Amino acid sequence: MTDTPSPATMKVNHGKPPPWRNISMVWLFPLLALAVTLFIAWRSYSDQGELIHIEFENASGVAAGETTLRYRDVVIGTVDAVNFSSDLSKVVVAARVDKTVAPYMDSESQFWVVRPEVSAEGVSGLTTVLSGVYIEGTWDGTPGEQQTRFTGLESRPLIDNNGNGTRVTLRTADGNIMSAGSPVFYRGVQVGRTESPKLSENGSVVTVDAFIEAPHDRYLTTATRFWDTSGFQVSFGADGLKLDVGSFAALISGGVAFNTFFSGGEAIEPGQDYELYPDEATARENAFARVSANTVRMSTVFEDGVAGLAPGASVIYEGLKIGEVETIAAFMNDAGRDLQVQQMVSLRIDPQLMGLDADATAEDVYDFIGAAVEDGVRARLQRANLLSSSLIVELVEIDDADDATLDLEADPYPKIPSVTTDFQDINATLEGVMKRVNSLKIEELIAQATNTLASIQAVATDEATRAVPGQITALLGDARNFIGGEDTQAIPGELRGTIAELRSTVAEINRQGAIAQLVQTLENADATLASVTATSDSLPPLIEDLRALSAKVQGLPADEVMNAATGFLDSADRLIDTEQARNLPSSVSAALEEVRTILADLREGGAVENANSALASAQGAAQSLETATADLPELTQRLDALLARSERLIAAYGERSDFNRETLTMLREISAAARTVNSLAREIERSPNSLLFGK
Amino acid sequence: MQVDDLENAGNPTPLLTARQAGLVACTGCGRVHEQGVERCERCGAHLSSRDTTSLQRVWAWWFAGLIIYFPANLYPMLITNTLGTEYKNTILGGVIELIDHHSYFVAGVVFFASIMIPVGKFIAIAYLAYSVRHRATMSDHGRQVLYEVVEFIGRWSMIDVFVVAILSSLVQFNFVASIHPGIAAISFALSVAFTMLSAQSFDPRMIWDAEEAATE
Repeated sequence: MTDTPSPATMKVNHGKPPPWRNISMVWLFPLLALAVTLFIAWRSYSDQGELIHIEFENASGVAAGETTLRYRDVVIGTVDAVNFSSDLSKVVVAARVDKTVAPYMDSESQFWVVRPEVSAEGVSGLTTVLSGVYIEGTWDGTPGEQQTRFTGLESRPLIDNNGNGTRVTLRTADGNIMSAGSPVFYRGVQVGRTESPKLSENGSVVTVDAFIEAPHDRYLTTATRFWDTSGFQVSFGADGLKLDVGSFAALISGGVAFNTFFSGGEAIEPGQDYELYPDEATARENAFARVSANTVRMSTVFEDGVAGLAPGASVIYEGLKIGEVETIAAFMNDAGRDLQVQQMVSLRIDPQLMGLDADATAEDVYDFIGAAVEDGVRARLQRANLLSSSLIVELVEIDDADDATLDLEADPYPKIPSVTTDFQDINATLEGVMKRVNSLKIEELIAQATNTLASIQAVATDEATRAVPGQITALLGDARNFIGGEDTQAIPGELRGTIAELRSTVAEINRQGAIAQLVQTLENADATLASVTATSDSLPPLIEDLRALSAKVQGLPADEVMNAATGFLDSADRLIDTEQARNLPSSVSAALEEVRTILADLREGGAVENANSALASAQGAAQSLETATADLPELTQRLDALLARSERLIAAYGERSDFNRETLTMLREISAAARTVNSLAREIERSPNSLLFGK
Repeated sequence: MQVDDLENAGNPTPLLTARQAGLVACTGCGRVHEQGVERCERCGAHLSSRDTTSLQRVWAWWFAGLIIYFPANLYPMLITNTLGTEYKNTILGGVIELIDHHSYFVAGVVFFASIMIPVGKFIAIAYLAYSVRHRATMSDHGRQVLYEVVEFIGRWSMIDVFVVAILSSLVQFNFVASIHPGIAAISFALSVAFTMLSAQSFDPRMIWDAEEAATE
């Protein structure tokens, strides 16, 4: 310590430099940390997405934090919370959606919960069985006025407003044929769907909105006709019996088809109104009426009756429809000698249907018809078809027609000359046809058809058939619950535990040499059974003795009989009393017990190959047992017989002395022992396996 | 004061510090040098009698740790995917869930290592740094012990980060189950690291300087 330099007063600079010179670079780190934290906060805020609220009647399966919101099957958000509306009438689902998608959610947006669904059109939403339900949304691709409150639909909208296509309105008198989601076909290909039928305001018409997907909507023109394709259609006409069946889906839920029979229709606006015709033929016939904007009016006068002719009836030229009847009016013709009632029929002719341009003028038509009339074309009435009484107007070339011209001056429209029709002719033909028809077995046909339809109806209306979709849905729900259940999810863990235990058990078994032990035990059992056999072998001579004894007993006086019987019973007693006989059951059962224990262990271990070898040994043992026991039933029978005889004898002996009682007891014991052996033998015969596996 | 009395028992002069002796001690190996020596002759560490920027660095690291501690607690630590369902757990949320599953011991360990220790460390370091410049109620010796405890215990907060790291590397069974670390895992690791640096930046000699200044 003495060498320690004396403490020098140290100069410590206490002067304070300006604070900024002292600022350490290390302060960058808090700034960096702050920046990172702010960045994280900003990112999570911007990732958070817009909060929207969707009201549902039923939000079964929707869970906060788990259920996703999807657009075109891509996850765009997650449900944040599930609450009730203020009056508890609805469920309000709050969800966060991606900010890039949110601007597209406008008043047109639709949301629905996707669940597993089974219907006539197929199975959908199966993926939700595993993953749980999700909310699907649809909206168009143009950002509109953004909205954050929506009303959810009960099910997938039939018409996806995000898909391109055209919506049209169909008008029909009967909404029965339609149901929501019915397919719309074009030439047999499904190109759209219908919504639910709605009643018009005054209740007179049913309207159904249908959506035709792009690009098929380009087939829609003002000339397009829609008709109903639901169910069957059986028609009987000149071309025979015809059965029309649409698709299966259409059969169940109804369907609509459309086609454009005539060119020249104009492009339509969305929301165009169409009439829905009951069938294709009607639609085709009515194609004309609303096609032509440009029609030319003409007239013709018939002298004979026009009963059966109605406004709207076709005007046919060379088999083609070129127009229709507009009005029918009767007037007095006083030009001749006497007054005559004539029928003036005004016609509307569509030049386009005659092959003229769509914008052909009336003069072009007059020229055309006029030329035809010069060649002998006349108007005449004709039946619409063989079976109906309705009439059409036909322009037909008459070979020996009187000269006539198109009367351009006629009032009010140019007049086409007409000829009378000889309906007799037609009637005769008709009669022949009717006769032929008569001979057809229509009743049978119809009865059969009725039966078929009834069967189909029975199947369709059967409660079971109807319940099927519901049951499947319930089943799927159950499956989902099952898979999602905590128990099920815990299974892999338990399984692993079990396998580990199993493994250790097997190892234990292997270690302890259990198999060797088992084999040895089985060998022991074998030996025991061999001794059983030996014992059984020694029994028959005894039986012989017994027989002899019985014979003697019968022939001897009572005292001797008794002595002999006593001697026999003593010897029998001794036999049963021998160690060997007594130990037999217990040693067998002990051996079996051992076998069973080891097998039980083995079974737990599940070592199949070990079990197989053990089974082979056991089989051998069981076989020896079987052979050994084969003799037992006989022995038992004999014992029984002896017993019966002895009993009779003893009964004859009289009073129930002590000796008597003892003898009886002993005999019963023998009998019981015999039965036990017997039942053991049967048991072993019946199911050798019980030896191995216990009962 | 009592502690000092005991230490100086039998010694009438006050305790001589290296600085008063005109020496500077190496903080790395403990060897003393003459004033003005820049580097330790034995271990090459930078020598300074008093680290003048110490307090500044303590506070800087302390703030950095505190700032990053917020996301560590607000954001998910573990993201667990089980059969298509995603679960996110924050530190405190994980503790609550463990309690729900009656794993009280594990919950206690996590709570202690991930919440008690970091928060305690913040308070302790702030107290130590504050007490250098202001009057402290705690004895100098007590503060020295506190400093040593803080330095020792700081690393144990990393236990949570290790658990996350191990889980997310072990549990990757695709659809059945997978675990990923969340933002909080990184934030928490950084926070622990920053507070450890903060504790290390603290020059405990300043505790005694303050005491000397007071007695002089």
